Amino acid sequence: MIGQVLGHCRIVAKIGEGGMGVVYRAYDEVLHRDVALKVVKKDVRLDASSSQHLLREARASSSLAHLNICTIHEVGESEGELYIVMELVEGKSLAAMCAGGGLAPESVLRYGVQIASALARAHDRGIVHRDLKTANIVITVEGLVKVLDFGLAKKVGSGIFEGPTQSFATIENTSSVSGTLPYMAPEILRGEAADHRSDLWALGVVLYEAASGRLPFEGRTGFEISSAILREIPNPLGPPVPPGLWAVIQRCLAKEPIQRHQRAGEVQAALEAVQSASIVSPGPAPDSNAPKTTILHSVQHAQVKKGDFLLLVGTTKGAFILRSNAQRSRWEVGGPYFHGHNVYAMAFDGRGDQHRIWASTQSYWGTLLRSSDDFGKSWTNPQQAPIRFPADTGVSLKNIWQIALGRPDEPSILYCGVEPAALFESGDQGETWSLVRGLFDHPHRPRWMPGNGGLALHTILVDPRDNQRIYVAISAGGVYRTDDGGCTWTAQNRGIRAMTMPDKYPEFGQCIHKIAMHPDRPERLFLQSHWGLYRSDNFAENWTDIANGVPSDFGFAMLMHPRNPDCAYIVPVESDEFRCACDGRLRVYRTRNAGSSWESLMRGLPQKRAYETVLRDALTADSFDPVGIYLGTRSGQLFGSRDEGRTWQQILQGLPSVVCIRTAVVEDASGGSRPTLPKTAVAPSHRTKSASKSTTSRRKR
Amino acid sequence: MPVTFHIPGALREFTAGHDTVKIEHSPATLAESLSVLWTLYPGVRDRITTEQGQVREHVNIFIGDENVRYTGGLASPVTAGSEISIVPAVSGGWEKILLFRNKR
Repeated sequence: MIGQVLGHCRIVAKIGEGGMGVVYRAYDEVLHRDVALKVVKKDVRLDASSSQHLLREARASSSLAHLNICTIHEVGESEGELYIVMELVEGKSLAAMCAGGGLAPESVLRYGVQIASALARAHDRGIVHRDLKTANIVITVEGLVKVLDFGLAKKVGSGIFEGPTQSFATIENTSSVSGTLPYMAPEILRGEAADHRSDLWALGVVLYEAASGRLPFEGRTGFEISSAILREIPNPLGPPVPPGLWAVIQRCLAKEPIQRHQRAGEVQAALEAVQSASIVSPGPAPDSNAPKTTILHSVQHAQVKKGDFLLLVGTTKGAFILRSNAQRSRWEVGGPYFHGHNVYAMAFDGRGDQHRIWASTQSYWGTLLRSSDDFGKSWTNPQQAPIRFPADTGVSLKNIWQIALGRPDEPSILYCGVEPAALFESGDQGETWSLVRGLFDHPHRPRWMPGNGGLALHTILVDPRDNQRIYVAISAGGVYRTDDGGCTWTAQNRGIRAMTMPDKYPEFGQCIHKIAMHPDRPERLFLQSHWGLYRSDNFAENWTDIANGVPSDFGFAMLMHPRNPDCAYIVPVESDEFRCACDGRLRVYRTRNAGSSWESLMRGLPQKRAYETVLRDALTADSFDPVGIYLGTRSGQLFGSRDEGRTWQQILQGLPSVVCIRTAVVEDASGGSRPTLPKTAVAPSHRTKSASKSTTSRRKR
Repeated sequence: MPVTFHIPGALREFTAGHDTVKIEHSPATLAESLSVLWTLYPGVRDRITTEQGQVREHVNIFIGDENVRYTGGLASPVTAGSEISIVPAVSGGWEKILLFRNKR
């Protein structure tokens, strides 16, 4: 056919021959470019409808503009010849490259990522390759992968094979399909419908072959190969193949499609994770001279001294530290720390020999847990994010919603609740962290659903009396409790309504907004859910509705009085559609009889056009007597009450949206001396006679 | 010809203050280039990619003028002389702060 013109392409030379036809190098005389031209063999008998289908498929494939997919320019028929004009790819097939033995793992990963990326694009467009194999993958001289024959195999394949039995015969008798059977997924051999996951099986075979130089399922006959595919487990690949790569291959080669990765993008991500881990491992250890601490020079700091009282305020644009004394009437403002970052969680740790402030920061550059031992003058800025999901989870940290201290007698233990919902634990004062697998591997986890703010584990309550018991609350997953230090967890949602689910009282899935536990009576918990207020007096075994006389049982925050176990505070909002203070009046509600009735507390709070929202961690208490209560709003107002909520004063306005507030009492700010537990009040009662004028000093914008 | 990284203001605290980092190796792909970058400056790694090795959602990487999201992601080819820019999706604030601080 050399010299012949098909369409507007003049055939220049024969390049090769495959099952489908002969491939020529050709020259497109209209567009003036070199192309590859495949002439479909006449003995690949296609009836009219098959021919039409091939054309349709090829046209669809021609829309797959992707760097790693060999572009199909044109499909046509001329003088009875069916031909396909494609991008001319010059390189070596992956089959040829790994024929002499496995390739270096770095290369396998590099090529694997590109193949998976190509599959992801095609699958997104509804195109399944169906004949992915190392012979169909070309590596160009630049190291770029090109996957050939996308979408072409489907109809041609079914044209040749009418069923699995015939395909077995075909493999032994016809050269046109040799080399294909070893890449076929079990479901195809069983005669079941193949889908994009059959391509992921083939990708597993390709990766296995590229890494080892041999096929995972071998045999002398088609029958033996098929039998191996259906029943056998491939020989494991050890070093130099990294365990992570072997894990990806194994998952691709799961016999049942449902057990494989479900999308090519997941395989790509998994390979990139291994790539990312393995390309760094041979490098030098992190430079110990590089900065680990950021000292902030251009930010106003609060000058904290012994006896001071602190408010730690996290907002959507950074953190603030407000300093006062036991009077709590004048405030010095430090910050903003972490300009522009979301600070969803803060904590003060006065246990042991420390007075450490913790903050979580979230920005374009990821989520970090940071701490300061000098009240904000300098903060850790770890080179490596300390809280990270293990590679095998395939999950990435989005945000840290809660930082919780371990028990007072376990000063080295800390917990973090994160999004996507998971619990992390540190046993060394936050130096290193590990995922609590007992909760992460809970069979309910795949069925938790994200709430409006994301799928977050936002509350952690540690039972001070039982060192094995911890509660967590997940939105939307429910309340879970462990009684064995985190190994196993049970859903504890009996009696809690789920307004958004068909079963109104499911085992789990409730959108819990906050839970609070009384430290002296840890069997007692209060709960604010998406719709509903509840109390439990038996370690969350059962919950009782306590929405008695509140304007709305929708809200976010739930605060326990630090001493009175019958007293709790909430800030109701109107509804989930209109998440603002009811009637435009900012009112805190308090119960002093464990929920039998609620009273409104509003003196000093705005009562006109105050469409405020108080988020779940933006309501807190101090440890003085009488107790001080603090709340922050989405509109950036901060209010405080020194008389347990009876009267309120504005402390600050104009802040970014307030997400969390925590309190701390500092006994010795110089460091190194005797520490103070924040629970221990340092000052006697200072009853305020009236709402004193709040002062904001030295605030820097 | 080396490959050159342009480092945004927010990450310069991890590159000893350098706004550009030249890599003398001959990496074939973006992934290889990045691995060299964070061998030199480990602190930038977790800022640019997640713990699963994916480029963060709101971080854009350009090779020349091309956003790598459209050229093959981490597998995007890199050639001698390539200029690789790391840019937050909405940029500006950090640069201003840095300039402001430098002037003081």
